[in-house]
Amino acid sequence: MNLNRLAWRNLWRRKRRTMITGFSVAFGVMLAVTFTGAGDYFYTRMIDAGASMGMGHVTIEAVDYHRAPSLKKRLQHVESLREKALQLPQVSDVMTRITGQAMFASASKSVGGMFIAVDPAQENSENNLFIRSIIEGSMLSSPEGRNIIVGSKLAQKLHLRMGKKVVYTTTDVHGEIVSAIARVSGIFETGISEVDGAMAMLPIHSVQKVLGYQVDEATLLGIILKDQRFSKSMRDKLAAMPLYSKAEVLSWQQSQPELAGMIAVDKSSNYISQLLIGLLVAAGILNTMLMSVLERTREFGVMMAVGMAPGALFRLIMLESFWLAVIGLIAGIIITIPWYIYMANTGIDLSGAYGDDFNFAGVLLDPVMKIRLFQESIVAILLGLFTLALAAGAYPAWRAGRIPPVESLKTI
Amino acid sequence: MKKTQPVSIIVISLVTLLSMLPLTAQADEPTADKTRTSKILNIVDDLWRGKSSHAVTTMRVKTAHYTRTMRMEGWSKGKEKTLFRILEPLREKGTVTLKSGTHIFTYLPKTDRTIRLTSGMMMGAWMGSHLTNDDLVKEARLEEDYDAAITFEGRRDGKELIEFTLIPKVDAAVVWGKVLLTIFADTYTPVTQRYYDEDMQLARTFTFTDMKMLGGRERPAVFRVVPADKPDEFTEFTYESLEFNLKLSDRLFSKASLTKR
Amino acid sequence: MNIISLASRNVRRNWQRSLVTTLAMAFASTIIIFYGALMEGMVRGSEHNAVAMSSGDIQIHAKDYRDDPDLYKRIIEPDLLTHKIRDAGFRAAARIYGFGLMATDSSSSGVQLRGLDLQHEQEVSEIDQHLMSGTWLRNDDSHGVVIGKKLARQLGVALGDELTFIGQTADGYMANDIFKVRGILKAVSTAIDSAGVFMPEESLRELLTLPEGAHEIVVIRDDPTVDLKVATQEVAALAPAYEVLNWQQLMPVIARFLETANVQTLIMMIFTYIAVASVVLNAMLMSVFERIHEFGVMKAIGVRPWQLVRLIYAETILQTCIASLFSLGAGWLIASHYQKHGMDMSALAGDISFAGIAMDPIWYAYITPEVLITPILFLFILAALAVIYPAIKVALIRPLDAIHYQ
Repeated sequence: MNLNRLAWRNLWRRKRRTMITGFSVAFGVMLAVTFTGAGDYFYTRMIDAGASMGMGHVTIEAVDYHRAPSLKKRLQHVESLREKALQLPQVSDVMTRITGQAMFASASKSVGGMFIAVDPAQENSENNLFIRSIIEGSMLSSPEGRNIIVGSKLAQKLHLRMGKKVVYTTTDVHGEIVSAIARVSGIFETGISEVDGAMAMLPIHSVQKVLGYQVDEATLLGIILKDQRFSKSMRDKLAAMPLYSKAEVLSWQQSQPELAGMIAVDKSSNYISQLLIGLLVAAGILNTMLMSVLERTREFGVMMAVGMAPGALFRLIMLESFWLAVIGLIAGIIITIPWYIYMANTGIDLSGAYGDDFNFAGVLLDPVMKIRLFQESIVAILLGLFTLALAAGAYPAWRAGRIPPVESLKTI
Repeated sequence: MKKTQPVSIIVISLVTLLSMLPLTAQADEPTADKTRTSKILNIVDDLWRGKSSHAVTTMRVKTAHYTRTMRMEGWSKGKEKTLFRILEPLREKGTVTLKSGTHIFTYLPKTDRTIRLTSGMMMGAWMGSHLTNDDLVKEARLEEDYDAAITFEGRRDGKELIEFTLIPKVDAAVVWGKVLLTIFADTYTPVTQRYYDEDMQLARTFTFTDMKMLGGRERPAVFRVVPADKPDEFTEFTYESLEFNLKLSDRLFSKASLTKR
Repeated sequence: MNIISLASRNVRRNWQRSLVTTLAMAFASTIIIFYGALMEGMVRGSEHNAVAMSSGDIQIHAKDYRDDPDLYKRIIEPDLLTHKIRDAGFRAAARIYGFGLMATDSSSSGVQLRGLDLQHEQEVSEIDQHLMSGTWLRNDDSHGVVIGKKLARQLGVALGDELTFIGQTADGYMANDIFKVRGILKAVSTAIDSAGVFMPEESLRELLTLPEGAHEIVVIRDDPTVDLKVATQEVAALAPAYEVLNWQQLMPVIARFLETANVQTLIMMIFTYIAVASVVLNAMLMSVFERIHEFGVMKAIGVRPWQLVRLIYAETILQTCIASLFSLGAGWLIASHYQKHGMDMSALAGDISFAGIAMDPIWYAYITPEVLITPILFLFILAALAVIYPAIKVALIRPLDAIHYQ
């Protein structure tokens, strides 16, 4: 008799057991999808938010700027560098930016901070977190002019309102101290006090004039990718291009090591959780198969007595585990799809858990827990659970194969 | 283009204010009023002009938390170079500050170190006074920063005065909303200078008093800064001596000379 | 015959099957104990991380100091206040702050000077354990400083290098002195990394001519189970003239982030419990249904349905007890190992920070009574529920059907 068919039939001899075990595998699929999907979604959001704070997923900048920032270090011919990068597949956007330290002063006070000079034509709420979080006024309309968008805490410290003057002082390309005036045309609030209290956005051509930069000079190009997962390969690709040989190319992991660290730790804790759940699923399968082997000791004895080789018995049990896993995975896919669709689109709103004072801008943190699964994660989950199921079946199978026939007939 | 030539580090702070006078801008517009405004402001400005200078000054600072006095000696050459050293108190004696262009270096005898001030320090208080480091450096550029007009002429508080209203040009890196300068109508010496913020609230007041023979003519010997939000506080400079057009070596204003003193 | 001894005889007779069932339960609840301890550790760890390096549970400032950190906005007689706070069952340390410029020959940077009461600071923060290189401050080394890592990079200084400070004293004179870099911190927070210069309190008082007062008092609950809000009120009552805020008020973004993480942890925990339930349910159902044949025989020889249900429950409870004891022991062993040693994530991650606060890369488990007891209770309830159906079925089944039951 075909071992495959025998295994399949054996499974359905105990419908309830098979179904419960299948359910636990299926539930394992759902859990793994939820855990991994929550991670994939959350990390992508964090990485994209981080990228939209200035540096992009991949950054092209002057050599050594990252290690010791100075406005003297700058990229030249940024327009051609930008054009070239924009043509690459996977690149969704490239922004020319100048970032540096500055002193901001109003008639009442002065505060040290950071500026990011941008070309408004290249910026939008997708690639620029500050545009997303403007709470008053509007985004810069021109790369020229004397407008400035300031963080809410900075505005508060300097007693600034819309339309008020700010003098920013910084060090130009020759190391000279330079100042220029700007008027507040917008105020943003990201919810991160370090950013809101120190950051300002300026029009790029005006800053170039103040710093003594040429029109095609900037400190960095921030590249936004269609998918953050390609940042490392894109970095390597760009770094290998002769056009960028005089620049330094960094992936977000290099430009924002702290964020990369946080995600790495969270990921590993997520893996630990999933490993534990995988062990539970495996324990369920092991339990089922072991029980089934134990109760069929007599049956196996008979089978071996009529000439079935121990190897075939081992294969039979392995096949049973295999089909059990397949049933479980298919059931898992069936129950997970509606759950996934719900979680990917609607999600669980956690804001109820915060009480009534939830008024956070929501730029960094999302009150709704959603999931999103990468293709490779789907494959990893299915393969992982399948392997676990087979591994769990191995011991009972080995056990079934080594039962001596005479003794097995004696039990019960 | 006429140039302001600050005469000492203390005068720099004076000149800071005076050199805001928009001399060049006025010359471009040949209306009678503008010419007159420009002419008077030139004369006011001339009060502090010289190829080089040497001065001895006392600074008194009173704040809610402390009162202090400092005596110092300063030299200047051209409009870019200024050097001064502290004579008293003992705690700070020998501290030398060199301003060369937009750079400020400070030599600290206590630690035998020279430090270059960075852009981040420019808005910091200068020597615990009510002036910032920025007030000391800005002067060379400020002449281009304002549009001036005579807004009052006549008797006020029993004195014949002329009042100028200085409005910052749109692109000028100036935090103020406007500056009001009053001078004596007869001698063209400054009386007060008031700084207003953008809401036209008074921010600080400079007053010039105590006319004395200094450097060969009558000049106000006392200059006082009062912040508007703390009317009980002030910084006051008093000239002991002031000389113009001395022969000063360029080496005096080099970084190397800081440590020699 | 005594039902307990009958049950235990049954369990022993079917020892292989009993063992498999018991182990499955024990394994499942061990995992959930360990997982619970890990999650508890993560929640506590991230809270701890948020407060341990610098902020403490509660901070006291002069009113307006946080908005406008002015040298003169001080807490007067901080010693008196810290004594009172310590008497009320807290740990407390005073700090003083100053601002100015730290320079080397080639570069300079604006800094925040942080003067620490070294003896008491140890009780409220772990920053002294957080050095990347070098050594912590010592009272007998008045000119030794510990600085933030980004500041060190910006100034281009290494251990043993000199830094010149220039600033202003409280009485309006020039503050100026030379310090030696004794230690460089790991990432702590944006502010400390890029501008923090730590020195002994006395050194800073001398440098700034600041004979008395403090800018900040940091308070830590001696007993971390005391509610933070209650503790904040208690401290606020002791310092009525000052602003008293707890870390959740001081760092709302971090607090929100941790709340979100906690809710997500709770959701994950529920899922894990469901996974455990499916394992236990399956094991219990099987252990009864596999033996329907046997129960049929018992019924045939005259055992009454009620007795059968009692027998099944007795067996179940016996197995669950063994599983509980096993999982308590194993779960506690594993969890306490990771409570002591933790899992070092730094190999994966290096420096980790969120919203400007550095996180500790070592993940510790944390055992609370709840972490141990909840899974056990859950196990008993689940086992009891799981056998209701098969027990009733067995009780009602006709012996002949049972014997032929497949």
